[in-house]
Amino acid sequence: MPRHIAIVEDEPLIRANYVEALARLGYEVRGYASRAEAESAFAQKAPELVIIDVGLGDEPDGGFELCRSLRAKSATLPIIFLTARDSDFDVISGLRLGADDYLAKDVSLHQLAARISALFRRMEALRKPVAADNVIAHGPLKIEAERMRVTWNGADVPLTVTEFWMVHTLVRFPGHVKNRDQLMRDAQVVVDDATITSHIKRIRKKFIAVDPAFDAIDTVHGAGYRWKP
Amino acid sequence: MSLRFKLLLVALSTLALPWAGWQFVRQTEALLRQGQEQALLASAGTLAKAFAAQHVQWPAAPVLYVHRLAQRVAVDGYGDDWSELKPYAQALGPAQDRQKLRVLLGANADGLYLLADVRDATRTRVDARDPRAARSDHLVLALEAGAETRRYLIASGAPGPFEAHADAAGAALPERLAGAWQEDGSGYRVELRIPDTVRIDRAGVGVFDASEPADDTAELRALLAYDDTAAKSLAALVPDHARARVVDSDAWLIASGGRLENPGAGVPGADGTSGRLVYATLIAPVLTGSATLAGDAPRLDAAEVWQALSGVASTSWRAGEAGGDVVLTAAVPLSAAGEVRGALVLEEENRALPMLANRALFGLAGATLAALLIAGLVLLAFGASLSFRIRRLRNAAERAVRTSGRLSGPMPLADDEDELGDLARSFGKLFDEVGAYTDYLRTLASKLSHELNTPLAIVKSSLDNLDHQALPADARAYAARARDGAERLGKIVRAMSEAGRIERAIAAAEAEDFDLAALVAGCAAGYKPLAGTRELRVRLPPAPLPFHGAPELIAQALDKLFDNARSFAPEGGWIELSLDAADSAALIRVANSGPALPAAMQERLFDSLVSVRDAGMRSAGETPHLGLGLYVVRLVAELHRGRASARNLDDDRGVEFALRLAGMPRRRLSESASDA
Repeated sequence: MPRHIAIVEDEPLIRANYVEALARLGYEVRGYASRAEAESAFAQKAPELVIIDVGLGDEPDGGFELCRSLRAKSATLPIIFLTARDSDFDVISGLRLGADDYLAKDVSLHQLAARISALFRRMEALRKPVAADNVIAHGPLKIEAERMRVTWNGADVPLTVTEFWMVHTLVRFPGHVKNRDQLMRDAQVVVDDATITSHIKRIRKKFIAVDPAFDAIDTVHGAGYRWKP
Repeated sequence: MSLRFKLLLVALSTLALPWAGWQFVRQTEALLRQGQEQALLASAGTLAKAFAAQHVQWPAAPVLYVHRLAQRVAVDGYGDDWSELKPYAQALGPAQDRQKLRVLLGANADGLYLLADVRDATRTRVDARDPRAARSDHLVLALEAGAETRRYLIASGAPGPFEAHADAAGAALPERLAGAWQEDGSGYRVELRIPDTVRIDRAGVGVFDASEPADDTAELRALLAYDDTAAKSLAALVPDHARARVVDSDAWLIASGGRLENPGAGVPGADGTSGRLVYATLIAPVLTGSATLAGDAPRLDAAEVWQALSGVASTSWRAGEAGGDVVLTAAVPLSAAGEVRGALVLEEENRALPMLANRALFGLAGATLAALLIAGLVLLAFGASLSFRIRRLRNAAERAVRTSGRLSGPMPLADDEDELGDLARSFGKLFDEVGAYTDYLRTLASKLSHELNTPLAIVKSSLDNLDHQALPADARAYAARARDGAERLGKIVRAMSEAGRIERAIAAAEAEDFDLAALVAGCAAGYKPLAGTRELRVRLPPAPLPFHGAPELIAQALDKLFDNARSFAPEGGWIELSLDAADSAALIRVANSGPALPAAMQERLFDSLVSVRDAGMRSAGETPHLGLGLYVVRLVAELHRGRASARNLDDDRGVEFALRLAGMPRRRLSESASDA
């Protein structure tokens, strides 16, 4: 039974492209042009994953509204923002509303597909018991790769898919400096330096929110980042 | 020259004020004088009429004037007693040489005296009794008393006393006249006394020179003397403080009455010597009056008198006896029976006028000085305030130019209601426009990139989809090319939005303490592999350099500077990266051996969307340079209270970009606490 994905996007050409591309990958995809249309459809049948554009028609923040109402209905529904609005402010707003990832519109279909499948994989994994071989532990840090779950001193650190992949890359070889290119490649994103920096900043903040003494990610200026061994 | 001093110069124009005042005082003075002249002329005219009615009975010219002799006269032929009168001697010589014989007649209580001066260098001496006397040098004196006329031949064989005998019999006139004869190289002098036993009506003197024989006829002339009776009645007519004199038609003094005295004399005036000097140099008209009129001369040989004698009244001013006084003279003709028989000269000495004028002048000078001072001060103050305001406006304008039209705070003077206020408002409008334009330019790239993102996403997602279609092999090449183009377009769009993202990142930047030296060292280590064939020289301070700021942003700025240097330094060139602690700031310099910057661009290099690269420098397939890198550097520098600058190195060695950073302001604990 194919998984049901909903795309809420006001630009018909992009919507059509995404719908067709994801359908080709074997998903059952529905496209919606506005928040009202999407909400009435979701009331009938809830999708298993939602891709939302922030600006919807004449509602500049329609995507955020939709995200909030969906998250209120389901805590586990994977939500991905896919938008041209890529400022830090928008990214943070989107993630605060409980989105699982926030992607700029110039992301390739391939990268989008990688995230969708990762999110589905995590949903699957959450239903299964933890497989021991997929757990990386390093000091207070514990990473369950399948569930894409990160804990610090046993407390859950809520990372997005992109962030999770970055942390995963750093932690796999503690002490090694990972430059921005490596981080981008592993996180399946193509962004500029400033965006990588803000990603790292957000990751640090999320860890610090759990443990104010957190200090495990080092900046090596001119080179990249590393996880303190 | 500053505005203040220009205004001060303008204030000097008030100096025209004293000039105008001076002219005014002079004019007033001239008017007053004219009034006085008219008044004096009027009274002189009245006087002349009154006098003429009873006293014009003197003989008509030509006359022989009988001077008043004060002292006793010694008849010795030397003429010492006559010395004061010498200038008034009458020339009675023959027609061809009038000056040959000069005659003076004088009278005192003792009688009538005669002094005759003859110029005759060739002497033929004989006594009067000698028969040759008629052909030798001699004088002939003719006297007429009533109907009787007698002639006396005056000659002497030697200097000394002589006697002259009458030529014919007579009754009233004396038989002999005793006198004295004296000679010198140039001529001879005869002095004799005529006893006042008889009243002589007319007299004449003739001269005979043996070397130039001529007619020795003595022309008889009426005698004219000072008239005491007339003088008395004249004195009664003369107004106070004035002097009136009457002369005959040959300007001989007939009567004099009244005295010249200064009514103001003895009154202590404000004007001393300096006052007189001021009056004399500044106000007094040219005193053209004849000096001859000043004394008690027996003959008033003055232009005024001659004019009056010609029938036209005249006035004149001359300096008085005492310094500073002026004497006004009015001369009017005296007529009898429709004939000008003489003239009356009325004089008035005056001091009131200069005093008045001086006072006015001093008042004027004081007022002018005060006015000048006040005007100068007022203009200076006005100029100072004006230039202060203009300076404020200029400073604001320069500040606005430096910040591309952004002014912190309102435009100064914008509330003023004068022209400067208008100018300030115009400036304000201009800067608003410039600011808006600059803002528009700055946000243009990021706005444009936003708008481009969506169509780009359409292209890219379409290409992604196209990959999964069954395409002929030769069509795949086109798809690949389209993808390549879309990728490049994506890069451009990302670069365009970079400045906006950096601005947002800067707005959210949090300062921390870190070692700037270590940061630069780390970056430098990262750049080594990127430098390629270019030599990377790094110069760092040996000790750590503690710094308060945003390390990520500084590293990004450094990346931009290095990137810039790398693209300009030629293959095999060098790039030099240095860090110095300068006072309270850190100075990061990135120099490269690239081509020099155009001088005009150095100021604008750090503006948004400014690039000095020409299209030819870009190799194929490279993303175009939008000129945002150095703008990012500038933003980072400004965040750290510093500035970015670029200059060409000496000797054309290359170009140096400098980043001066003072550090971000430390937040107070309460702020950071509330922020967390």
